[in-house]
Amino acid sequence: MRDVRTIKRLGSRSYDTTISPSLAATARRTNDPLTIGINGRWVWGSIAIAFLVSLLPWRTLPFSPDLLLLVIAFWCVHDSQRIGLLTAFCLGLLIDVQSVAPLGQHALMYVLVCFGGVLISRRLQRFDLLRQALHMMPIFILGFSITFIVVAALKGFWPGWAWVGASFFTALLWVPFGWLLQMPVNRLASQSLGQG
Amino acid sequence: MSKNSNLELFRRGIPQELIFIFLTVFSVFLLVIDTKTTWLDTVRQTLSLSLYPAQKAVMSPRDVVLWGQGVMNAAELIQNENEALQRRRIELAQVASTAAQLSTENAQLRRLLGMQNDKNERPALVAEILYEAPTPFNRRLIFDRGALDGVAPGMPVIDEGGLVGQIVRVTPMSSEAALLTDEVVSIPVQLGRTGLRLIAFGSNYAGKIEVRYFESDADIKPGDLLFTSGIGGAYPPGLTVGRIDTVDRDATSGFARAIVTPASHPDRYRHFLILRNVPSAVQNTTPTAANPVKVPSSVKTTNVPLTNPTGDARARRSNN
Repeated sequence: MRDVRTIKRLGSRSYDTTISPSLAATARRTNDPLTIGINGRWVWGSIAIAFLVSLLPWRTLPFSPDLLLLVIAFWCVHDSQRIGLLTAFCLGLLIDVQSVAPLGQHALMYVLVCFGGVLISRRLQRFDLLRQALHMMPIFILGFSITFIVVAALKGFWPGWAWVGASFFTALLWVPFGWLLQMPVNRLASQSLGQG
Repeated sequence: MSKNSNLELFRRGIPQELIFIFLTVFSVFLLVIDTKTTWLDTVRQTLSLSLYPAQKAVMSPRDVVLWGQGVMNAAELIQNENEALQRRRIELAQVASTAAQLSTENAQLRRLLGMQNDKNERPALVAEILYEAPTPFNRRLIFDRGALDGVAPGMPVIDEGGLVGQIVRVTPMSSEAALLTDEVVSIPVQLGRTGLRLIAFGSNYAGKIEVRYFESDADIKPGDLLFTSGIGGAYPPGLTVGRIDTVDRDATSGFARAIVTPASHPDRYRHFLILRNVPSAVQNTTPTAANPVKVPSSVKTTNVPLTNPTGDARARRSNN
């Protein structure tokens, strides 16, 4: 019995050490060439920073973009293995609490925009950041519109049109923030170019 | 596509579409529950408590900068403040002597008339703004004092100018005040010059409040001061609310409305006073669409609830 157990353990150990890293590498890799070399710490770190920045008082300014939504949507498009709709929903709820909006307002907006991003993610990966931003613009505007119409209907009054500017601005920021979020990839690319 | 060397030949787990539909429906469900009822307040309080350390941490640089500025300009600040205080002291000395005289006279008259003497004690609590709510739907301020400090929904908030708003929601560490200009706030007021009783509401004009439902020949002029009347018990009487800007008289409907500039400056300073005398009428009931605050007989002609701190604007409109 003991022998059999040892063999089993040995077997599993050898399986772990030889195949597991490569398996993990292939399993994690998405078909997106832009995000090869990006690790979870970078993704979650950027989301955490965007979240903390969202807690600052600058968001009361008119046309202020939703940076957290931008970062989550970016990772939903480029790293859907890690960041999905559930993350978007939970962070949306936290923002609802922070901005004393009715619970579900930002959650709904984030889920709508992120799902739009996931739907066209394959297509988006064929374009550069500017064209990606142009693709995402209608999704941002639609997500904002649906949310504001639902909340306005429930609340009984219309909050004005400042949010259209905000959604437009958020989509435009896709370009600089996309460049920032892809910095590790760009660095890897330049290193490999330098070696070659 | 040949590069797509994913080990997953078939998609496993729950499909994205299903998650999307579930989360969307769930969000809308939460929205409906939260705008129509107060059932989710405990959830909000729990989440808010977990957010509090992050909020404090993020705000700490601002506090450090402000503290630094305070230290750097301390001498100048204190000098300016001292001068302002000296001026104020002289002004107040006159007011105080008149007030003392008036209050003895008032007490005597009340005794003569056999009226109850309402206590004018206002235990107050200084609160600092934590942040301003970044939502276009509400005009709210979040203070750093909560239920643990004795803050409760319904308490009025004032600054040196006058009434700022009313506490509408409280978490253990923080509290949320609706400004006078918020749609959900309605205040029983009185015209300083004539004593006319009115009700002031939040308005669609940015930073303004509105007085509605008075007859078009009522004696109201631009420049008149408005004070809280104390009717309904939510606000103590005598707090300055604002000054009439314009009066819009509509001959066809027979009613008029006036635009009022609030006397308080919620956008200017960081410290406010929360008055802790919560009247019994507001203390135990949380008015909602289903359960509006009872309207005293004196204002029944307008048929509008006096305060509607946590309810939505529709509750008020359905009554109009």
